[in-house]
Amino acid sequence: MRCLLILLLKELRAFFYSPVAYIVLALVMVLNSFSFRAAIAVLENKPQADSIVTWTFSSSWFWLSYFFLFPLLTMRLFAEERKLGTFETLFTAPVRTWQVVASKYLAATFFYCLLWVPSYMNFRLFNWMTAGAAEIPPGALLGTYLLLFVMGLFNLAVGCFASSLTSNQIVAAVLSFTISVMHYLVGMFVLYLGRRIPEKFVDAVYYIASIEHIRTFTSGLLDTRPLVYYASFTLLFLALTHYRLEYRRWRI
Amino acid sequence: MIEVSNLTKEYVGRTAVNGLSFNVAAGEVVGFLGPNGAGKSTTMRILAGFMPPTSGTARVNGFDVFHQSIAARRSLGYMPENAPLYLDMRVREYLHFRGALKGVKGSLLRKRTGEVMDACSLIDVRRKMIGSLSKGYRQRVALADALISAPPLLILDEPMNGLDPTQIRHVRDLLKSLRGEHTIFLSTHILHEVELSCDRVLLIHQGKLRADDTPQNLVQKIRVASEVNMEIKAQGDVQEHLGKITAIRRIHEEKLEGGWRRFQMRVEARGDVREPIFDLALKNNWQIRELHRELPSLEDVFVELTSV
Repeated sequence: MRCLLILLLKELRAFFYSPVAYIVLALVMVLNSFSFRAAIAVLENKPQADSIVTWTFSSSWFWLSYFFLFPLLTMRLFAEERKLGTFETLFTAPVRTWQVVASKYLAATFFYCLLWVPSYMNFRLFNWMTAGAAEIPPGALLGTYLLLFVMGLFNLAVGCFASSLTSNQIVAAVLSFTISVMHYLVGMFVLYLGRRIPEKFVDAVYYIASIEHIRTFTSGLLDTRPLVYYASFTLLFLALTHYRLEYRRWRI
Repeated sequence: MIEVSNLTKEYVGRTAVNGLSFNVAAGEVVGFLGPNGAGKSTTMRILAGFMPPTSGTARVNGFDVFHQSIAARRSLGYMPENAPLYLDMRVREYLHFRGALKGVKGSLLRKRTGEVMDACSLIDVRRKMIGSLSKGYRQRVALADALISAPPLLILDEPMNGLDPTQIRHVRDLLKSLRGEHTIFLSTHILHEVELSCDRVLLIHQGKLRADDTPQNLVQKIRVASEVNMEIKAQGDVQEHLGKITAIRRIHEEKLEGGWRRFQMRVEARGDVREPIFDLALKNNWQIRELHRELPSLEDVFVELTSV
């Protein structure tokens, strides 16, 4: 436990000492503001069935920034250690592999959560400026941030795994970006084809489609199926990362 | 302190270490020699718990490096080859982090950090980024890292690599001061260093142990021919006289100024031909100004044992 804490502090420090973190933070803040502005623009014209939360998080500005986050946050984690050769010093200290994986993953998760604070401030600020006239349903907000959290867990785990595969950060970034976007596009693909393909197939794809999940959660519906889905895939990718690092200890 | 028996490590299509067995007693300073690719680093990595052997066992401080990996790792300080370090950390910050990771706590950690920085002459650069340091400094940061938890065993993979002569001397003195409280297992290519600082030498080649002895014994036992040089003033066929001494294998003659003649003789192992040569000189009235035997060095031992 002590080792985990020491490693976690070191990883967090590495995040906040590097300029990348602040660039990402600023980028996300700006793009979130664009998507918020886009949502306001929609609602200005005429009354809508969906709330401002739904419109904000289904705008293309949001998805544009979203998938760039994960490679930026995770590509360095394991690839850099492999490149520097510091795995050798790290794993000859009395630390366990899971502690290393957990510390890096938790640090990335912490930073990821921090990224959404400005977007929450947008809603609060808007509420304050309009003196409560704009309706911001608390259920929708809760659902949205809960889903963002679990989707983040999943994509960060993918990023960790990609980073553990290679010593090249660019390769890690491209790999994690590809997996995340492919996962997202499966849902988009069905959305564009509409009902021209068999019903059963559509239902199956909707189960894993991020864009459908966000539609449900931003309307305030807390569906446990996506939560379980993301959580289980998070564990799968973290386990794969763990085995990737343990691999050198296998006797073959 | 180290017990290795029948250690074998196979990489895909290549056997790096092949049935290695040796022991290192507590308090010993042991040099680990061998040509590049002989399996030195692999053996050290296995001992440090970085990877497991394919077969065989290795115990460090009584703990199996695979089954009791954490306990084994707690009792050693390992300095890898080429000193891999986090380049974006400062020297003191890094040592502090490493010390904490190895279980040194609180005020002791602060004290140890200061001590190892002092011992490795890092005080001047303690606030510098490791990435901005020269190779010699990085090497010393890695050495300080190995020392920080004051482990009973130090495993140092080429600690003098990339240091200048002054720094090498400094590290040698440092190792000398650590003698007694630590067992030191170090690999190096600087054979002179081994003769100066090691109690014992393990020499491996192609993954197998070729020699395990003190540096002095190795040099004596080695079946390498020694060389005797002689400079005399003499008339007649000196070579014929010398040829009668059976231990001499080959004679090379050279004419020098002022009528002096220089003879270089290859002599069979362990034979000392200086006495018979002196007798010959007396008998034939040769005027001698030099008679000198060149002993084989550890370098000759190294070349002889690894040339097969």
